[in-house]
Amino acid sequence: MKSASRYLPLVLLALAWEAVSRLGLVSELALPPLSHVIRAAIDLVKSGELLKNGAASLYRGMAGLALAVVIGGVLGILMAWWRPLRAIVNPAVEMFYPMPKSALIPVTALWLGFGDASKILLIFLGCMLPVTLGAYNGARGCERVLIWSARSMGASRWRVLWDVVVPCALPEMLNGIRTALALSFVLLVSAELIVAQSGFGYLIGFLGEGGTYDAMFAVVLTVAFLGFVADRIYQWIMQRVLRWQE
Amino acid sequence: MARWFGWRSVAWLSAAVLLAAWEIFARSGAVTPFMLPALSVVLERIASDAASGELLQGLGLTLYRSLAGFAIAACAGILLGVLFVRSRMVRWWLDPIISVGFPMPKIAFLPIITLWLGFYDVSKISMIVFDAVFPVITATIAGTMSVEKELIWSARNLGASERSLLWEVILPASLPQLLTGLQVALPISLIVCIVAEMKMGGIGLGAAMMNATRFADSPGVFAGIVEIALAGYALVKLMEWIRHRLLRWHAEANDEAHA
Amino acid sequence: MRAAVKLSLLCVTGESVIAQIVIDRVSHHYRPRHGRDVLALDQVSLDIAEREFIALLGPSGCGKSTLLYLLGGFLPTQSGNISVDSKPVKGPGPDRGIVFQHFALFPWKTVRQNVAYGLEKQGMPKDERDRRAKEYIALVGLQGFEDSYPSQLSGGMKQRAAIARTLAIDPSILLMDEPFGALDAQTRSLMQSELLALWRRSPKTVLFVTHDVQEAVYLAERVVVMSARPGRVKAIVDTRLDHTDPALFKSRVFIDKVDEIWNLVRDEALKAQTETSG
Repeated sequence: MKSASRYLPLVLLALAWEAVSRLGLVSELALPPLSHVIRAAIDLVKSGELLKNGAASLYRGMAGLALAVVIGGVLGILMAWWRPLRAIVNPAVEMFYPMPKSALIPVTALWLGFGDASKILLIFLGCMLPVTLGAYNGARGCERVLIWSARSMGASRWRVLWDVVVPCALPEMLNGIRTALALSFVLLVSAELIVAQSGFGYLIGFLGEGGTYDAMFAVVLTVAFLGFVADRIYQWIMQRVLRWQE
Repeated sequence: MARWFGWRSVAWLSAAVLLAAWEIFARSGAVTPFMLPALSVVLERIASDAASGELLQGLGLTLYRSLAGFAIAACAGILLGVLFVRSRMVRWWLDPIISVGFPMPKIAFLPIITLWLGFYDVSKISMIVFDAVFPVITATIAGTMSVEKELIWSARNLGASERSLLWEVILPASLPQLLTGLQVALPISLIVCIVAEMKMGGIGLGAAMMNATRFADSPGVFAGIVEIALAGYALVKLMEWIRHRLLRWHAEANDEAHA
Repeated sequence: MRAAVKLSLLCVTGESVIAQIVIDRVSHHYRPRHGRDVLALDQVSLDIAEREFIALLGPSGCGKSTLLYLLGGFLPTQSGNISVDSKPVKGPGPDRGIVFQHFALFPWKTVRQNVAYGLEKQGMPKDERDRRAKEYIALVGLQGFEDSYPSQLSGGMKQRAAIARTLAIDPSILLMDEPFGALDAQTRSLMQSELLALWRRSPKTVLFVTHDVQEAVYLAERVVVMSARPGRVKAIVDTRLDHTDPALFKSRVFIDKVDEIWNLVRDEALKAQTETSG
C-alpha cells in the first residue's frame, strides 16, 4: 500500500479550504467551508436524497457498463478470430472512433426520454468502443505458437478460442474496461446534468439552482470521490486477475 | 506509395458503404423518420444551416472555445509536467492531485465553475482546461522522465546551460510523448466544450443540439451529430498531420502502417 | 532421391521397414501480405522410422521449421504428401507433440495447469490428471514448482515445463523447433543430455530442428542437412555415437562427423547470408 503520506497535500488543501472560507477571504456563498459541506452531505444521507439518487445513477452506470463489457468484449474477440466479421464491423468502428460520445446525449434523450433507458443506452454505446478495441488488439496479439500448442494437444478450433485467445486478450481488454469505467462516469454525470430527473448529476443541478451550495458541493465531491474509488478498486481487481504477469 | 493509396481508399469505401446503409435503412420504413431521419434529410439541414450562417456561428464558437481551452491546457500542462519532474516541491503537491484527479469525472465540477465564473465563455473554457490539462501533464511527465540519461549528460558535458538543456534537449526528445498527450487532450477539449454548451445553452453546436432536442427536431439533432463528428475528425487529422511534420526526424514518423 | 533415402533407412535399421513418417515431394510457398510468394521448400522427401532421433539442420530460412510445422499439421500441405502411420496429416493432433523455441507456455496457467492441459483435452478426470502432471513435472526436475507461473521461472525451467507438457500426452512423435535456442550455453548443454536421457527412457520418434551442428551430431542418429532457400534435402548423414564415452566431444569420431557436416552446411550458410544482405 503506497504510504498514506502521499495524500498529505490533499489534507493540507482541505485545511486551507476550511481556513480560507471561514476567514471570509472568499465569499461563503461561492466556497462554503468544508465543514458545512460535510454537514450537508450527512444531511443528504439522512434525508435519503443522496442514496436515492445514488442508486439511480449506479444502476444506470453499471447496467450500461456491463452491456458494453459483455457485448464489446465478445465482439472484439470474435472480430479478431473471424475475418468476415471484422470486415463488416471495422468501418463502423473507424467511423465512430473520433466522434465525441457525449454528442449522443441529445439523440438518446430524443429516442428514450429522460429516464434510465437513455442513460443506459448512452453509456453502452460510448463505452463499447474501448472494450472492443482492447479485446480486439489483445486477441490479435495472441502468439501463434500458443494456439498451435493447444491444437497439438487436442483442442478443437472453438476450444482454442476459449482456452487460449480469451486469456491472451484479457490484459488488454481489462485495460480497455478501465478506460470504459472512467468514461461511464463522465457520460453518466454529463447526461444527468442535462437530461435527467434523478441521479447524482440531476441532484447537483437541482441543488445548485436552489441555492444550497454546500449541499451541491457535497454531491460534487461525492461523485468525484466515487470515480476515484471505483478506479482504485478496479485496479486492485485487475492486479489480482492478472497476477500471473511479471 | 501505391500501397498507401490502396489502404486509404478501402477506408473511404467502407465509410461510403456505411452512409449508404444509413440512407437505405432510414427510408426502408423499419424505423420512423423521427427515430432515424434519412441521411439526405440531415445533409439538407446542414446545408441550410450553412447557408443561413447559423452553422458557421455555432461551429465557430465551439471551435474557438475548444481550441482556446486546449491551448491553455497544453501550455499549463507542459509547464506543470516539466516542473513536476524538476522540482521536488511541485512533485509533492501535484502527485496526489493528479493521482486522485485523473479518474474523477471532472465534468461534475461544471456547476461549481458556473457558480464561480458565470455562464459565458470564461466558464466553458475553464472547464475545458480543468479536464484537458491532466492528460497533458501525465504525458509530459512520462516523456521528460524517459529522456535517456546519456543525452542529458552529453549535452551538459558539451556545456549546455540548464535553460538550453530544457529547450534544446529535453523537450525535443520528449516530443513524441508530449504530442501523444496533446492528441488525447484535443478530443477531450471538444467533448467538454459540447457538454458545457448543452448545459449552459447560448450559441454553439452543443447548445443547438439541445435546442433541437427540446423542440423534438430530429433532423436538427442528427445534423448536430454529423457536424460534431466531422469537426472531431478534422481536428484529429490535423493533430496527426502536425505530429507527422514535427516528428519527421523520429523513426516513428516513417511508419505509415497504422494498426 | 527417394531411392537414396529408402536406402539410408535400410542401412540404418538393417531391415526393410515401413517408415512411420513419410514426406513425399513436399513443396511450400509462403504468401506474405505484401510482396511476392517465396518458395520455402522445394520437393522435399524424407522417410523416418519409428523411434528414430532425426535432426533437421540448415541455415536460417532453409525451411526446416516450415517442414516441422507441416508435419505438425499447423500449415496446410500445398503440394506433395505427408503421412504418419500411413495416414495423411490433416491437422494438429496429440500423436505429434510439439515443443517451441520460446516455450509457448500459457502464461496465465501454473506449471501444473500447463502440464495437465493436454490431459484435460483428452478427458482425463482431475485426480488422474494432477497425478500424471506431477509425475512428468518430477521427470523434468521441476518438483516444487508446480504452482509457479511461467513468469517466475528461468529460461531453462520454462523449457523443461514445456517439454513436460508435451511428454505428458505421450505422443509417439516429438517435434522440436530449436527448443534450446533461447537458452544460454550452459543450460543448453545440460538440457541436451537430459533430453537424451528422457528419450532413452521412453523412446519416441524425434524430429529436432536446429542450426547448431554440434548439437545435431550429439543428439541425433541421422542428420538431415538442408540447403539454403528454397529448402531441399542436401544430404543425410549417419551420426550414431557412443554416448557412454565420457570424452565424446573430444573423440575423433565426433570431431570428424562435425567437420563433415559443417562442410556440407557452410556453403549453404554463406548462400543464406548473401541472400538476406543482398
